[in-house]
Amino acid sequence: MQNVILRRVAGAVFTMWIILTILFFLFRLGLPDPTVALVSDGLSPDDRAIVMQRFGLDRPLHEQYFIYLRNAVTGELGRSFHYNAPVAGLIGERFLNTIVLMIPALILSYTIGPLLGVMLAWKRGSKLEVGGITTGLVLRSAPMFWTGMLAVMVFGIWFGWFPTSGMRTFPYTATGFLDKILTVDFLRHLIMPTIVITLYYTGLPMLIMRNTMLEVMGDDFIEFAHARGLGARRVMYRHAARNALLPVITQLAITVGLAAGGQVVVEVVFSWPGLGLEMFNAVRTSDYPLAQASFMLLAGLVLLMNLIVDMIYTWLDPRISFSSEGGR
Amino acid sequence: MRELFHHLWNAVRSDRLAIFGLSVLCILITLALLAPIIATHDPTEMNYRAEGSALWIEGGQTYLDAGVTEYSLRSVATDDGGFTAVGEKGTIAVYRGTRADGTWEIIDTGHEATLRSVAVDTGTGGAPALAVGDGGLILYRDGMGAWHREHAPGDHSLNGAALAASARTAGEVLRLAVGEVGTVLVSRVDSRGKSLDGATAVTPWERIPPGVTRDLLDVALADDAFGFVVGQRGTILRWNGTDLEAMESPTFRDLLAVAVRDRDYALAVGERGTVLLWDGQVWSEMSGPLSRSLRSVSIGEDGRAIVVGNFGDMMALENGAWRRLDSGYDRHFRGSTVVGEAYLAVGTDPYVNALASPSRDHLFGTTHNGRDIFSQVLYGGRTALAIGFLAAIMVTVIGTNVGLVSGYFGGRTDSVLMRIVDIMYALPLEPFAMILVLVWRPGVGVIILAVGLLTWRTTARLIRSQVLSIVRRPFVKAARMAGSGHARIMYVHIAPNVLPLTFLQLAVAMAFAITAEATLSFLGLGPPRLYSWGTILHQARLSGAWRTAWWWIVPPGVLIMITVVSVFFVSRALEVVANPRLRRQ
Repeated sequence: MQNVILRRVAGAVFTMWIILTILFFLFRLGLPDPTVALVSDGLSPDDRAIVMQRFGLDRPLHEQYFIYLRNAVTGELGRSFHYNAPVAGLIGERFLNTIVLMIPALILSYTIGPLLGVMLAWKRGSKLEVGGITTGLVLRSAPMFWTGMLAVMVFGIWFGWFPTSGMRTFPYTATGFLDKILTVDFLRHLIMPTIVITLYYTGLPMLIMRNTMLEVMGDDFIEFAHARGLGARRVMYRHAARNALLPVITQLAITVGLAAGGQVVVEVVFSWPGLGLEMFNAVRTSDYPLAQASFMLLAGLVLLMNLIVDMIYTWLDPRISFSSEGGR
Repeated sequence: MRELFHHLWNAVRSDRLAIFGLSVLCILITLALLAPIIATHDPTEMNYRAEGSALWIEGGQTYLDAGVTEYSLRSVATDDGGFTAVGEKGTIAVYRGTRADGTWEIIDTGHEATLRSVAVDTGTGGAPALAVGDGGLILYRDGMGAWHREHAPGDHSLNGAALAASARTAGEVLRLAVGEVGTVLVSRVDSRGKSLDGATAVTPWERIPPGVTRDLLDVALADDAFGFVVGQRGTILRWNGTDLEAMESPTFRDLLAVAVRDRDYALAVGERGTVLLWDGQVWSEMSGPLSRSLRSVSIGEDGRAIVVGNFGDMMALENGAWRRLDSGYDRHFRGSTVVGEAYLAVGTDPYVNALASPSRDHLFGTTHNGRDIFSQVLYGGRTALAIGFLAAIMVTVIGTNVGLVSGYFGGRTDSVLMRIVDIMYALPLEPFAMILVLVWRPGVGVIILAVGLLTWRTTARLIRSQVLSIVRRPFVKAARMAGSGHARIMYVHIAPNVLPLTFLQLAVAMAFAITAEATLSFLGLGPPRLYSWGTILHQARLSGAWRTAWWWIVPPGVLIMITVVSVFFVSRALEVVANPRLRRQ
């Protein structure tokens, strides 16, 4: 078990290294003049020289690469052009803001989705099933940014039920992160984006759960459980569902990666001050250091969450055979 | 191959949802192909709209009476129990009643020329009214209430009209009209609109020798012996009862309108926010909050004044200071009047028909700069489907090949390729595309590249696992024994067996690619000059109007949804062919 975990962590570190390398070469070789990616335009020649030296831009490419890796590991990510402040200090809280929006929505969709999936499999052949499948497909096909826009327009502007942007109503005072989010005002801001994300991601686990449930339900042990006189509900949820859960968990690992990317549009639509919005703004203002660091952190988030999902999987199914189904 | 298509077709045919999906897709593709024919407008063109509209400004609120007439209204005057406005195509529109409760009556004068100015003398019984316009058109409403045409000497266009009751003879009315190249026309009539000598039926308009050759643009009278005429390049003339004398003007800009309350108080406005004040002695320049052309000025009995201009510009003079009014509209206003506590403005020349809700002209309404959304959505479908298809092809080709190679060779090749697949799963799509845009620039290439590079991973995994099970089958071994090369075995012997799965993955990839294209375009990463459904939503977001303009955001989103869900419906049917396990159920 410990061995497996160690192997997974090593794999994640390896992947992160590759991603950092891709990023390095994209910026150094893709740009006509790589210095623009690190050195702000308005700097005086002296300051320019200092920054060039700190990031080793005056050295050969392979030395630059090692300086870059060292900087990435030690969190020396440069200064944001836009804010004129160290990037590392800027994105810390943004990262927390992203997590606090993303995790609850994923947990919700991967709780509600499979439960609904069990129900669809149970009511197989009924109108409910056809309706459920169609609803699931429709929810998956409506892009999140669009449902978000509709939600803001209808429930935010027309009905005025929920605030339409940000995490808190200005002005507010909060000394720390917990202080900021442990309020009713924050919850009111959280509801709409959470529902939008949840709606989008619920469809897939629901459909996968239904499919696997139908396969599992043909298995002997289910018939045996029925034969033992166990209640239908108990058989469905305790025996069949438990065994059908593994493909859903596999999908969760993939969804985590998708959600980290999809987070950008949700944050843009709801002006949620998270990493995605920060990166979006950084790209618009050509703030290279900030954009690069946000990307590293988002990729790191995907790896971390994948690691956690892997652990859950290992815990649920010691055989650990990976296979993937359905989603991208 | 033919057999495969036969299988696929049978699978689609036996599934009602799949038939529905396929039909919808066919319709969408047809619409996309025929977009230039079906589109009602050029999607990039700003659309203008002209109409005769009136805007009430009362107690800080504005109330728009849009489309009172089909043609732009140029001038308005307070009338007995309401207003009279005139405009293009000889339009005369009469309003009776209060703001909340009243009706417009359009009088068809039968004239084609534009009426540019109207004046009403409410102080005289029967409220005589004078309207003048292009080509020397003069219409007069006498005390009996009927409009009739009078003939002007010459055919110079007339820009301004004024009339005042005579101070000496009861029932006598002085009428003035001014126009291009210094035209000034004067006439005096009795209450029945007949000339004073009563001799001729044709009213004699007398032409006063012009002291200037510049165009005269407006005239206003305090009484029959005092008034002002304004015109191009700061021209100001004073009417003294018999003729005009030039006045010293503080500006060289064109003066477009003038209003006079009495001999001690008059206002003139003109280009670039020019405002002049007459205090009984001299004209002096005032500073106001507006900087564009001011088209009309009116003064109320209590000294308050209203000034209106293009793009909904408005300001009011209250308690000695000009205050900008927020009209809330971009329409162009050309005439104004003061009504007790309220103001009334009329327009509007062709204005950008921005954020219009759906109508027969614009089926899905217009954007914030007057572009036709219906046409944008049609053209957007082309881009969305084309990019979606190209990206899906790329994804499927890469994914299938990687899956084939990986599954066929196994061992080290397999683990390296699957390692790459794992790395691809760790790269979030939208941020990766943003990095690409940062390095290069927004465009079709970046979108296809981002989607193509990152999403072949699932196809590769699925194809690989199917190849793994095929490789062990006897016929592959037989082929190997027979001396077939690796490439031959992979593409001739194995590939046909994974083809159904490849088709399924093509469909799934297409659904994903269309969503991804929309998402990336929504973030502004798409080609800036090409419309796609995502770009339309991107522009809606940028404009800020998406929070209210439902007609702008609903159609592109619904189309994305319909397209993707149709692909899903079809792919569900293909799944039955591709995945034999499902066939049993």
